[in-house]
Amino acid sequence: MVVEQTKLPTGVSHAKSNSMNENIDHTQLSEWLNQVADKRCKNAFTHLFKFFAPKIQRIARSKFPNEAQSHEVVQETMSNVWRKAHLFDANKGAATTWVYTVMRNVTFDLLRKVKSNREDNLSDDIWPIAEGSVTEEQVYEDHLESNQLLRVIEALPEAQQQVVKGFYLMEMSQEQLANHLNLPLGTIKSRLRLALAKLKVQLGEEHD
Amino acid sequence: MIKHHPKFELLQSYVNGDLPASLAIGISIHADMCTDCQHTIAQLTEQVAEHSFEEATVRLDDLDSNSFTSYSEEADEEDFFESMISNITFSDDADVITEALQREVIFRDKTYQLPTALSRIELGKAANIGKLSRSRLQLDEDEIHSSLLHINPGGGVPAHTHKGFELTVLLDGSFTDSRGEYNKGDFILLDGTFTHNPISQNGCLCYTVANDALHFTQGINKLLNPIGSFIY
Ligand SMILES: [Zn+2]
Repeated sequence: MVVEQTKLPTGVSHAKSNSMNENIDHTQLSEWLNQVADKRCKNAFTHLFKFFAPKIQRIARSKFPNEAQSHEVVQETMSNVWRKAHLFDANKGAATTWVYTVMRNVTFDLLRKVKSNREDNLSDDIWPIAEGSVTEEQVYEDHLESNQLLRVIEALPEAQQQVVKGFYLMEMSQEQLANHLNLPLGTIKSRLRLALAKLKVQLGEEHD
Repeated sequence: MIKHHPKFELLQSYVNGDLPASLAIGISIHADMCTDCQHTIAQLTEQVAEHSFEEATVRLDDLDSNSFTSYSEEADEEDFFESMISNITFSDDADVITEALQREVIFRDKTYQLPTALSRIELGKAANIGKLSRSRLQLDEDEIHSSLLHINPGGGVPAHTHKGFELTVLLDGSFTDSRGEYNKGDFILLDGTFTHNPISQNGCLCYTVANDALHFTQGINKLLNPIGSFIY
């Protein structure tokens, strides 16, 4: 730790460009990502964090007015890197490209939440962060399954649909849903319970 | 064959994440069907990523020294990041990939599979006028309205113009206007200066975005102006 504060000139991005070699070590970054994916290696993650987090924070700072929001972008992006590292495929592109995609998506969803008050997290549908890792046949079956599920969900009464979709399809917590729909938590819980009971019956019937 | 593509600048803003959801969705739908644009998008993403992360190496210890007035605050920031790392890595769980939902819509007895970008957006009830059906997408972007617009065979949108812009992405089928024929995958962005009268011989389904009600311009169709806001 250095007590004397390093005075960075205001134009951080340009100031250092001649004194430092800026080539990014792509091989090293990919390796760390793979270690996170395969071995859940915290050490490799810490390296990634130290490389990416300050840069993400600076980029986010330029898009959001307050510091808490830029922290949220760092937190969300890096936690996605930790939880989704297995979706990174070094044959398809650089680690920087993948992390950029994750960061851009997190930023987009958060901006939308701030501006339009929507927590629909559309970004991964608009810019997929994982592609084609399942075979055609599985995809087809999955589609049938989710189609069927969606049809059954859409047959539920509107009030229950909202809760089921929020909880299962948008992965909102019961508390978030209560907030979002402006309903008491107990109501959310009971709607979810009712809806699940109906879904079970319906899906059971369709499978028989 | 796709003939109409988003302009380069639009693809760039798409990659940067700067577009409103409605337009980003339009580009995503087009790119799903257009390998040329997919390619451009991949290249742009690589470039902007490289650029974002290559900027002079700011180390964790240097972070935001301009905005920190005291050493203790900087140390706080460092602690903050340290605790963020341990929070994130606290659980070893990884996310399970869920296949994007494939969603279908039915317009006038015909079933269409929606593109991934539209798979989770709430759709309003379809409203019908003559051979037109429109279902509004609940994106909540103030004056920008996004919809699915279905034209039955032989139907069309009366000649109209916009004060703002009008984006049409053809999800299925085809239509023609005075400038020619448009097919599945075409990305058509018009500004307010253009008047057109699309007709669909065999029917089509479009994703549309407009930031202003359309304004009918011809003869008897002027009577239709109250439904301008209905269609787009
Ligand atoms: Zn294209």
